[in-house]
Amino acid sequence: MKLPTLLLVATLCLSSCGKETKKTTQSTIELKTGSGIEVVYVPAGTFMMGKENGADDESPAHKVSLAGFIMDKFEVTHDMFIEAELPNPSHWQDDPKKPVEQIRWQEARAYCNERSIMEELDPYYDETKPGFPIIETANGYRLPTEAEWEYAARSGKDSDYSFGSSRQLKLHSWFEGNSGKRTHRVGTKKANDWGIHDLYGNVSEWCEDVYDPQYYKNSPELSPAGPETKSSDPKRVIRGGSWKSSSAMCRVSFRRGERTGDTDACFFTDYCGFRCVRNISKEQLNELIK
Amino acid sequence: MKLTKLLPSIVLTTICCSSSNSFGTLKSKLEQNTHEIVHEAYHDGNWELFISSADGSEQKNLTNTPKINELYPQCSSDGSKICFLVDTGTGRNTIRSAWVMSRDGTDRVKISDHARQPCWAPDSKKIVWLPQEYKKWNVVDYYSKGLMFYDVSTKESTPHPISDKIRHLYNPSFSSNGKWIAATVHAGMGFNHAILLIEANGSKIINLGISGCRPCLKPNGNQITWGSGDHTIEVADIDLDSDNPKVGKRRLMIRDKVNKIYHSEWSPEGKYITFSRGPNGKGDLSKPSTYQGACEMVGVFAKGWNIFSVPTTNSKEIDFETASPGKDYYQVSKDGLSYKEADWLHQTK
Repeated sequence: MKLPTLLLVATLCLSSCGKETKKTTQSTIELKTGSGIEVVYVPAGTFMMGKENGADDESPAHKVSLAGFIMDKFEVTHDMFIEAELPNPSHWQDDPKKPVEQIRWQEARAYCNERSIMEELDPYYDETKPGFPIIETANGYRLPTEAEWEYAARSGKDSDYSFGSSRQLKLHSWFEGNSGKRTHRVGTKKANDWGIHDLYGNVSEWCEDVYDPQYYKNSPELSPAGPETKSSDPKRVIRGGSWKSSSAMCRVSFRRGERTGDTDACFFTDYCGFRCVRNISKEQLNELIK
Repeated sequence: MKLTKLLPSIVLTTICCSSSNSFGTLKSKLEQNTHEIVHEAYHDGNWELFISSADGSEQKNLTNTPKINELYPQCSSDGSKICFLVDTGTGRNTIRSAWVMSRDGTDRVKISDHARQPCWAPDSKKIVWLPQEYKKWNVVDYYSKGLMFYDVSTKESTPHPISDKIRHLYNPSFSSNGKWIAATVHAGMGFNHAILLIEANGSKIINLGISGCRPCLKPNGNQITWGSGDHTIEVADIDLDSDNPKVGKRRLMIRDKVNKIYHSEWSPEGKYITFSRGPNGKGDLSKPSTYQGACEMVGVFAKGWNIFSVPTTNSKEIDFETASPGKDYYQVSKDGLSYKEADWLHQTK
């Protein structure tokens, strides 16, 4: 979908929609899904991904174009896991509005499928096949690609932090400098310009992509989805700072590969969380807005 | 012939004989052991329970139900019965149930649907089992909420006094004095991950302060074995007669830097520890009735896994990098057909 068309759609919808919809910028729309979860419609667009002369795996900065998608406004919380009747593996269980952590990569994908089923969408991951491969035609929830995550986190900005410098980090993020070495309720820090919270801290977030520090050197411009791999359990990309990250690790272009934990009976990485995204057509967006 | 020429052959003969004798010693001890070993195995596209002599000989399919999946056998201390899990259905429609049967595989009785990991009380009259957290299927081992006692004679289950406070337990094991239930908890009851003792008829919960999982209490004494990591099994003294048991002297019993070692179980007299061993993996969904997850979990196909036994009398750590097969450890099963979760079936009293 071309951006002008999208903006028109957004404008038309916003003028006639119910209370659940509010305008955040000219191009993003805040919505509630069928299961009552707050999401943000992120329009199609083009941005510069990575950081020129940044860390080896962040360079080179390169142009990326993406289709529009819906992204969770907040990280997936304990009560969302309970609603989906999934075992919550989180370390800190003192508040149902905290983000889940100690989540294996595959468990995060399993949650996406559960939520798809709850909202009568087609599950995006095929649970009948080894590795739960993607069903590209499915309209259900999934993990974001690394490019989608960075696009949403940048919210149209080119700087290390969409809100300015690291001095403002404490207003936007739970990180090493203010977390008290634990997670916190989602949404208790300022959202970015597109209305999305906690992208810069609280828990780091699983992405779909295989991690390859060299990937940016030959990444495609259109909807990059990470490198192919023959490994049965490669490291996957995890993005965004967490309660234990330094300010440098909270930068929008900071990349990291993390063991999935999928072969561990118990997974103790208590900064690994996630949020969901899903593809959406103009018709589906209009339907959701209704 | 000069002695210098004879010496190498004498040394070689001595080494061979010594090795042979050592092999013979452990094998023959297990051959003479009158108890049997029951374990799960993936056989012809189906989970079954197999039984064999302690040395792995005379193996036979105990359940032999090509359309029903039996897993996780646990044997009563009087040797008369076995409780176990049954998986029916496929994929997200799977229902896991707890069952009990006679030692010969007959007289099967269902304990409950949506149940996890049963274990016997030492009187062989009650079975502890863990209700699933939700009815929806999930392969994760800590997917439980509550703690129930099943009475074998009345066929009824009653909740533990603090069942409503218990969440995310797995792998329970009863103490021989009937006073405590050891179990692992993950992300529940205020613990991130711990091995707990829960008072069998009360409300006391004690964090043993030992990292790892899957504890097993010695059937005839005050010791515990558990997996202290993916590649290590430890044993320790524990005063289970106390009202506040603490873990005493710990000893690293088995180490395997390459393969995973899990599911340690005591033999009836505590002379051996039996365990599962095999390569890391996350299952093989091309095999029916199996699931994706860490291969040590119940229902996940574990390629190349076998059952092993080690004598507990060895004072030194058994490191698979340097240990001698047949001398330091004994391989009970050979086929590697996802042989896991062994338990000793006591000779009938």
